[in-house]
Amino acid sequence: MTGSLIILQPGHSVVTDLGRTKGPAYGLPVNGALDQFSAKAANILAGNQDNDPLLELTALDFRMRATTDLLIAVTGAPLDLTVGGRECPQWEPVSVRAGEVVAVRGIRTGLRAYVAVHGSFTVPSLLGSCAPDTVVGFGLKLVEGFRLETRKTTAPITQPHFGLPLFRLAITKPAFTTTPVIDVTDGPDVAEFGDTADLLFSTQYTVSSRSNHIGLRLGGALPERQLTSEVLSRGVPVGAIEVPSREELLVLHRGRGVTAGYPVLAVVTSRSLDVLAQARPGHTVTFRKTTVAEATATHRTACLELERLRQTINTVFGLLGIGAGQRWHELSPASGA
Amino acid sequence: MAETTTPTALDIFESGDAALRVVARSGDAEANWSTVHSLAGWLATAGVDGIYGAVPTYDSVLVEFDPYRTSARQVRAFVLLGMRQLDFTGTPMREPRRFEVPVVYGGDYGPDLDRVADHQGLDVEDVIARHTAKTYIIRCLGAPAGSPMMDGPDFPVPVPRLKDPRLSVPAGAVSVAGRQAVIAPAVAPGGWCVIGQTPLTVLDAAREPLVPYVPGDELRFYRISAEDFGNFTGQFLEARP
Repeated sequence: MTGSLIILQPGHSVVTDLGRTKGPAYGLPVNGALDQFSAKAANILAGNQDNDPLLELTALDFRMRATTDLLIAVTGAPLDLTVGGRECPQWEPVSVRAGEVVAVRGIRTGLRAYVAVHGSFTVPSLLGSCAPDTVVGFGLKLVEGFRLETRKTTAPITQPHFGLPLFRLAITKPAFTTTPVIDVTDGPDVAEFGDTADLLFSTQYTVSSRSNHIGLRLGGALPERQLTSEVLSRGVPVGAIEVPSREELLVLHRGRGVTAGYPVLAVVTSRSLDVLAQARPGHTVTFRKTTVAEATATHRTACLELERLRQTINTVFGLLGIGAGQRWHELSPASGA
Repeated sequence: MAETTTPTALDIFESGDAALRVVARSGDAEANWSTVHSLAGWLATAGVDGIYGAVPTYDSVLVEFDPYRTSARQVRAFVLLGMRQLDFTGTPMREPRRFEVPVVYGGDYGPDLDRVADHQGLDVEDVIARHTAKTYIIRCLGAPAGSPMMDGPDFPVPVPRLKDPRLSVPAGAVSVAGRQAVIAPAVAPGGWCVIGQTPLTVLDAAREPLVPYVPGDELRFYRISAEDFGNFTGQFLEARP
């Protein structure tokens, strides 16, 4: 059975997924959830596939009303979550009864939160992704009164001991801080910066308010390119650190234009891109040098953590009769919700 | 970090934990361009698990991958395998398609036309004549959103970028910068000199493919009057039959 919810207070929220990985070959940025770890965790906690559409909330308070029974999970930066006025835990599955209001208030320390709904949403897609693309004008930016159809409803899971939380999976949440340390590997053009490249690792940078999903702008001592020759346009990776002006460092994030003509000084690791996605204007960023091998190992450790979470959820949801299996959407309603 | 390992001279650079930059180093720009586009095509058709795709430009191709399912080391080995195969089989040539693009030059449509003419030491008519004289090859798809990047018209000197980039350049804007030429498929900020505008729709998110051309296709501009602009509105840029 399909369900739905209505947006009461959109704040700054979009429907997204893990990104348009086929986009860059066509000149479109990958986009998608900026904190991929939190987005994947939300979907897993809601019994969804990692790449299912979910809500990304940026900075502002958000409210929605469930018009059917739903199961949700909220991850990302610390915040206050209430359902029908009751305080509820973040980073745990939460039952929402038809008619109840889900409110997210006071997103703090970090910048972004994710709301996944069991069964996910039916939304349009472009090149295999629902992620908004501001350049081609694609995607759902949520407005007040907007109704989102969910592919499933989930009957409320009753808790016999009134007041106790429904779930206590106690998963290891990532640490959120106002002074993140960001791991980077040497960029392909690091040699062009000569000795000044090391400034990246001895400087504290301040996140500028002109930062967004395309890139973060950081103020501080800037490495300087030692050459003056023109650079041919090249594909630049997400995470590329460039010095396009004398004022700021630019760290490209998932909304980045696919090609650019600036030399790449360093590249932020996949895991640290999630951390950077949570940096607010005014936060202090320091960079730490690592290797591709170490970065890959760190990323895989995080992925394995999510796999363990998935196994736990599959077990718990299986016992509760919530379809959480790999192909829950193919199950008949009787064995599913 | 970079190493040259195959008969086609190639440098492979680490670009973080989820991408590699592969640079062709044959000493010949045309050969380099052909190499990186063949390699991108080969990677796309090979359908390797964990490789998201490739972004080829002039002398380089960025290969993006999922560092959980594969690794920089595996992708590097795969790129070298692809190059050996391409060196053996040669580059498959696709018959280029031909696009013809109507442009209103100057005025509100091309606010930088006079500036470009001044800088080149040419009169405006000569700038338009040179811009329409050439058959352009689409070299790659660039930012924003599938822009057809082309080698520029036969101008005496490179065209400097605007000191203050515009916050918004309309879709269809026809621009030049450095030794390059482009059409803007979508509204976006831009620092290139806009010399005209085409009334044709280049990009429509509702259509497949998003943009009608691929690298290697040919494109020509022809001049229309401002009065004719409206006659083309709503028409899509399409290859000549």
